[in-house]
Amino acid sequence: MKDDPARRRAAARALLLPLVFLTVALLGGMRVAVDRSFVFLPPPLVTLVMAALLSSLFMRGRLVRLDTWLGSRHGVLTNISHALTLIALFFASAQAFNSVLPEQGLLHWMFAFFFLWTLWNDQFSAFDPFRLLRSLGVLFGTAFVLKHMVLGALAAPGGSWTQRIASAIFQGLSLGTLDIPAVAPATGYISFFTLALYVMDLRPLLREARLLTPGERRALLKELEED
Amino acid sequence: MRYPLLHATGITATLLYAGFVVWVYATQPRTFKDVTEGARIASGAYKVDAARYDTALSLFHRGLFRAAREEWERADPARADARTQFYIAYALYREGWGRLYHDDALYGQGLQAVDRALALVPAGSLIVDDPDLKMHSAAELKAELEKGREKTWSDLNPLRVLEERK
Repeated sequence: MKDDPARRRAAARALLLPLVFLTVALLGGMRVAVDRSFVFLPPPLVTLVMAALLSSLFMRGRLVRLDTWLGSRHGVLTNISHALTLIALFFASAQAFNSVLPEQGLLHWMFAFFFLWTLWNDQFSAFDPFRLLRSLGVLFGTAFVLKHMVLGALAAPGGSWTQRIASAIFQGLSLGTLDIPAVAPATGYISFFTLALYVMDLRPLLREARLLTPGERRALLKELEED
Repeated sequence: MRYPLLHATGITATLLYAGFVVWVYATQPRTFKDVTEGARIASGAYKVDAARYDTALSLFHRGLFRAAREEWERADPARADARTQFYIAYALYREGWGRLYHDDALYGQGLQAVDRALALVPAGSLIVDDPDLKMHSAAELKAELEKGREKTWSDLNPLRVLEERK
């Protein structure tokens, strides 16, 4: 079979991207309880707001250029396929936030505020697609370390004396409002895999962002002809 | 339009997978076994273990209600067969029935089982044609279980000891 870059790009947009984004949407809300049973948490409303802000950032940072995804120059099937991919991206974003957001208590709201504040500030910053992706990696990475490593260690059942003392001090300082649910270590691994999958799945978008749109190509050719 | 087959495949695969994700969040399976059993029910491939079902039925007819219940639970682990759930409810009724008083806990479990049975039949009515039973419909069984859990002055009527188990 002939290796056609346009065909590969179409296959990525129509098949690879939506399926990986849906996997992120599936795993983002998955927790493994201490008794090893699965719990699936649907995205809280605040994560949908975050996903909406992030979608706006994707467009402002030109990581997703709507005119290349949807429009009258595409056929109906292509438009439907691309729309589904963008919807899958929205829910994957919501579930990626859900994956690193503490489930309840004061920390849930503190993390939510931290995310919303960062996303809101980013709306007014100048972004190129690469910087946006790097910033997203740092944002999710920080939240992952805080939730699954720092807080996860404090909430883990059993553990050493120092861990229990630290946990008691932490709970005391927060007047018992932290309320961190204990989960099996597998939850952290699932979250890590989910976030890695999400950020990796955004990379093909980065490659596409570097390509010129037909309009840009025409304008560039016109400029070259004039020169 | 370029690559129509590719886009059609993409749309189908995305919609199917999205349906699976929604189904997982709606049904909340707790183990991989729950996932596979749920998928079998959704695809219509789920069947009750016939051998265990028959064993349970014979235990029920011999009056061994607890053993029958346990066997039916094993025959229908996903609790997805209306007839089996009806029999479990009936076994709970007969086990909980007493001439002087009824066991509220067993009657409560019976109500849950009969509700499951009713939820599993599309028309909402279930008739079981078994000559050993005195109540053949799920609605009758449910009413009897609810009546057994009610606290009324008639509970103090000494003639109640003459009532028959159905």
